[in-house]
This record gives sequence, C-alpha cells and structure tokens, in this order.
Amino acid sequence: MDFMKFLKTVALAAAVVLPQPALASGGPALPTQSWGFHGIFGQFDQAALKRGARVAVEVCMACHSIKYIKFDALKQFGFSEAEVIALAEAQSHNKKDRMTSPMDPVAAKDTFGVLPPDLSLITKARKGYEDYTYAVLTGYLTDADRALVQKVMEDGVLSEGELKELSSALGVDAHQPDKVKEILTRIQANENFNKYFPGHFLAMPQPINDGSVTYPDGVESSLKQMSQDVVTFLAWAAEPTLMERKALGLKVMLYLVILTVMFYAVKRRIWAKVH
Amino acid sequence: MSKSIMDWVDARLPVTALIKSQATEYPTPKNLNYWWVFGSLALFCLIVMLLTGLFLAMHYKADANQAFDVVEHIMRDVNYGWLLRYMHANGATFFFITVYVHILRGMYYGSYRAPREILWWFGIIIFFLLMATAFMGYVLPWGQMSYWGAAVITNLMSAIPVVGEELVIWIWGGFAVGDPTLNRFFALHFLLPFVIFGVVIIHLWALHAVHSNNPDGIDLDEHKDTIPFHPYITIKDLFAMGVFLLVYCAFVFFIPNFFLEPDNYIPANPMQTPAHIVPEWYFLPFYAILRSIDFLGSFSKLAGVIAMIAAIAILFILPFLDRSPVRSFRYRPLSRQLFWIFVIDCFLLGWVGYNPADATRFNGALPLIVVGRTCTAIYFGYFILLWIITAFDIEKPQPVPKSL
Repeated sequence: MDFMKFLKTVALAAAVVLPQPALASGGPALPTQSWGFHGIFGQFDQAALKRGARVAVEVCMACHSIKYIKFDALKQFGFSEAEVIALAEAQSHNKKDRMTSPMDPVAAKDTFGVLPPDLSLITKARKGYEDYTYAVLTGYLTDADRALVQKVMEDGVLSEGELKELSSALGVDAHQPDKVKEILTRIQANENFNKYFPGHFLAMPQPINDGSVTYPDGVESSLKQMSQDVVTFLAWAAEPTLMERKALGLKVMLYLVILTVMFYAVKRRIWAKVH
Repeated sequence: MSKSIMDWVDARLPVTALIKSQATEYPTPKNLNYWWVFGSLALFCLIVMLLTGLFLAMHYKADANQAFDVVEHIMRDVNYGWLLRYMHANGATFFFITVYVHILRGMYYGSYRAPREILWWFGIIIFFLLMATAFMGYVLPWGQMSYWGAAVITNLMSAIPVVGEELVIWIWGGFAVGDPTLNRFFALHFLLPFVIFGVVIIHLWALHAVHSNNPDGIDLDEHKDTIPFHPYITIKDLFAMGVFLLVYCAFVFFIPNFFLEPDNYIPANPMQTPAHIVPEWYFLPFYAILRSIDFLGSFSKLAGVIAMIAAIAILFILPFLDRSPVRSFRYRPLSRQLFWIFVIDCFLLGWVGYNPADATRFNGALPLIVVGRTCTAIYFGYFILLWIITAFDIEKPQPVPKSL
C-alpha cells in the first residue's frame, strides 16, 4: 500500500474513532441496560413511567427534588386526576406544585453533609447517562457481599481467593489489596459503599430495596425492576419532549431524503451539459 | 409591469446588474469538486445560528441566578424551544466541522496563494471571531462546564506580563467569573455574529475580486473553463445542503447530546470544581497545544498561550511560507504527504486535549503530555517543512495542465 493511501486511511480512522461520546471514566465498566426509549423509534413505556413515578415520589423525593416537573404533568402518561392529587398530597403539595422534596435543605445538609442534588436532569448530567443512574441504584453491597466482608473483617485475613471475589464484587483492581482493605475498613465503619459511584463512597445510603414500593399493577417490585422503572421516569423528567422530538425527527428526515434525492436528480440533469 | 418597476429601480440602484455579475452569471471553474461546497455550507450554518440564536435570545435571561433554569424553561415550556436549543448547540458543532473542512480544503489546493492572500486573511479573521463567539456562547447555559471553562480560559489572560491580573478582573467584572461576566458575554455573543456576517461579506467581496481557486490550482481561461454560478453551482450547493442537513438533523433529533458534556447539565457551582474540565471539541487541538508547553517553569503559561494563538496566527503567513511554483497539492507529492500527516496530527492533538493533563497510556509508559508535545512540534513542523521543501526546491512538482 502506498504511503498516501496509508495516511488517508489513518486520517479517516482517526475521524471515526477519536470522537467517542462521553463514557464513564475510571471505575468498573457500567453494566448496560436496554432502554426502550433509546434509538430512532424508541418510546417511553407508559406503564414503566407510572411505576417509576411512584418510586420517585415515594422513595427519592424523601430527600431529592425533581423541580422542573409539576405533579400535574404526571397525567401525561396515564395517571388520573385523583391519583395525581393523592401523590401530591402525600408530599404535602398541591397538584400544581413543582415536585420538590419536603426535606429542608439545611436539615439535609446537616444530616448528609451534602445537599441532595435535584434529579430533574440526573440522567443527562452524568457520564454513562441512564446506565450510570441504574448502576448506582443497584451498585450497593448485596447480602452475599456483606457476609463476605463480615467474614474477612472477623478473620482479619484476606486470602487470595477472597481478594479475587471481593475485587470483583467491589469493582476494585485485584492488584491493589491495600485499596480493598481500606474499603473494607470504611464499610465496617458504616460508610455507604457503591460499586459504581466515583470514589465508591457516597452520602446516600441504599435508597431502594426489594419491596420498597408496592406496585398497584401487580408487577413484582424487585430492586432491579424498581431501578429500571425509576430511571425510565427520570429519563422522561430530564426530557419530557423526547417522543415529540423523535416523531418530528422522522418526518424531517423523510422529507430531507426526498428533497436531497430530487436535488441530486436535478443536479445530474443540469450538469449533464457540462461533462 | 414588473419589468418597468425593475427598470425604475435599476436606474437608481443597479440591482439587476449586481445579481447578474455577482450571482447568476458569476463565472466559476467548471472543475470544482465537492470539497468546494463547504464555503456555502458554512454560510448556511451562520444563518441557522443567527436565526435560532435570535429566537433563543427572546426567551433567555442573562442572569447567574436564572440562566440555567431558563435554558430548561426553553427546553420544556417554550413551543419548539427544545428544537431551537438543540439546533443551536449542535449548529455550533456543525459550523466548526464545515469551517475546518473549508480551511483544510484551502490548504490542500493552495487557495491561500497569490492572488488570494487577502481572501485567506479574512477567512482566518472569521475563524478567530467564530472561536470567540462559540466560547462565549458556551458560557450562557451556566452549567458547570460553562462556568469552569470560562474560568480556565479567561484566566489565561493573567499570563500577560504586567497588566494580566488587572485585565482578568476587568474582563470578569469582579474577582471571579460571575453575574457581570455572564451579562457581558451574552451581549458580546449577540453582537459578534453580526460582526462575523460583515467580515463574511468582505470575504465574499475578496473572493469575487479574484474568483475561485480550483482543484488543479491553475489560472483559468474565463470563457473556456468557467460556468455561470447559476444554475450549476446553486444546484450543486443545494444538493450538498440536503446531505449536510440529513447528517445535522440526525444529530439534532436523535442524538442531540452527543457533543455536549454531561457536566453542563449540572448548574454552575463556583464552590465545586469538576473532576475534569474539558473545552468543546472544536477547541481541543488548541487546548492540547496550550497544555503541552509545560517545561518552561514560570513562563510555561505565557508560552502556552502564545503557542496556542500562534497555532492559528501562523496561517496568516502561510501564503508566504509556501514558495512552490504550483498551487495545488494535487501536483505536489511531498506537500501532499505533509498535509495528511498534519490532518492526523490535528486529530491526535484533539484526543490529547480531551484527556486529563496527567493521563498516561500503556501502564504509565507513555504520558500523554509527551504525545502532546510531539504533536505540537509536528503541527508547527508542517509549516516549517512546507517552507523548506518549497523554498529550497526539494519538492519536484509534477507537470501541471495548462488548462482544463
């Protein structure tokens, strides 16, 4: 292959490979979920939105606000007037109110040391987007992890096998036993460990547990199910115009394809005289 | 009727003659390839940005306490506000893509060579203005990257000897980036596009005085080798615009946040520095050049700023560095290779700029700062080598056709 072709190929490859989107940097790779609202034809699952809104209101909003959304807006995906009023009143709000947390910011800061961030844009504001939010919700220690941590701390010995197991459970490099030990000590001191949160320790204790919320539609409220639902709801809260955008986008693209093909045909016709 | 009205107007202001000579019958080379469509695409981008920007400005509030919320208000409550904002945000990206291709096309086919130096210079001035406008526009949503990007870049001025520190305070309108900074950036972000529009007109005037270069880089026979702008170039540009819009709209409607940093959806917080401050992608190569000068002790910052500005300013003297008797690289084998190395180098610089300054590869064996320095040397090396191979006749150009 001649040198010119080689250079052009490298330039083309660089143009394709280098501008990769914002991916989570550092820490273990995020487990990717399939989100129905992704992709060109993606739509929000209305039932998941309803379930997710319930999780958001009953669990997240104990501390977090979702201030760009008003309770009233929940009607968009099938909540009845009465249901919206019930959800709002449970938070001592009117249905026209923004979804703010009843928790006093000063009290929150006293309790947690940080202000719980508003969740309206959370799925857009972190590298990894929806996958990141889901990973944090599900990234706390499982009962099995806890038992293992407990055992190691009681023994005071970290065997080769346990190190391996722990490093994968905690998302820490197995070549850094000191880091694993430091994390174990902090877990023992009741700090909140999370596999996917940058730095691994955060102010928020595990917010969602199996059965935190009872779903009226009979779907089993497992940790994974509720996390999936609430992240779907938060993705909607981050961009309620998403479906409108994609629907218009399809029409625009179709129009542009036809227009461009016509331009091309006319161009060929006009330029036929020149060549 | 309409003819007599036009005659009346033409007797007072020769509109018809101008349209004929400068638009419909304006002679263009008949061998222009598709790399030549990016000029009109850039103009199209400017118009899209002016229009979407105007309507965004009708809803925006340049107030540090309201700016972030008001952008979300535009996204959620304003009719098609999300469309305006995504068109504008992605429009900046596509404007820079077209402009970069346009500049590189000029560099490859020798469009900066005599008699087109002034045309080229006004192009570089537009590029400078564009960067200033884009930078200030990025501050307006008042997210974390807006705030800290503004802080980092304005802070560079403090490297200027003697007056630097005072100058930065003057630019900020305070002792840190804050409400006054946001206000003046909004005012300037609204003003500069019109300045750009004015310079674009001068750019076009300069173009129409000397006429377009062409892929062969040769002087053309006005009668034999040219075709009228309309309908030949108009339809070709329209087709290109269709293709361009397809790509642009795919981003606007389906992956509108692809080029946006997630951190900018966090409201600006002067008390909390983001883990990793990155400028917009179109500044990354220059940001990498800025950071790669870190070995001069206390002069590093100033030297970095000078290198960054020089990276663009060197384009001003490009017409005089290139001494080849041939314009187009199509007939210049060595220049062609240098050119493609230069293009790859720009991508590499961008990649280095995107990574944290202390990042390494291959388990620490390769600090990216070393890659950055090497790429910076190659960047400036392009211009020096181009001068050497042409001024000392090292490059032997291939035979150039006399006409088309």
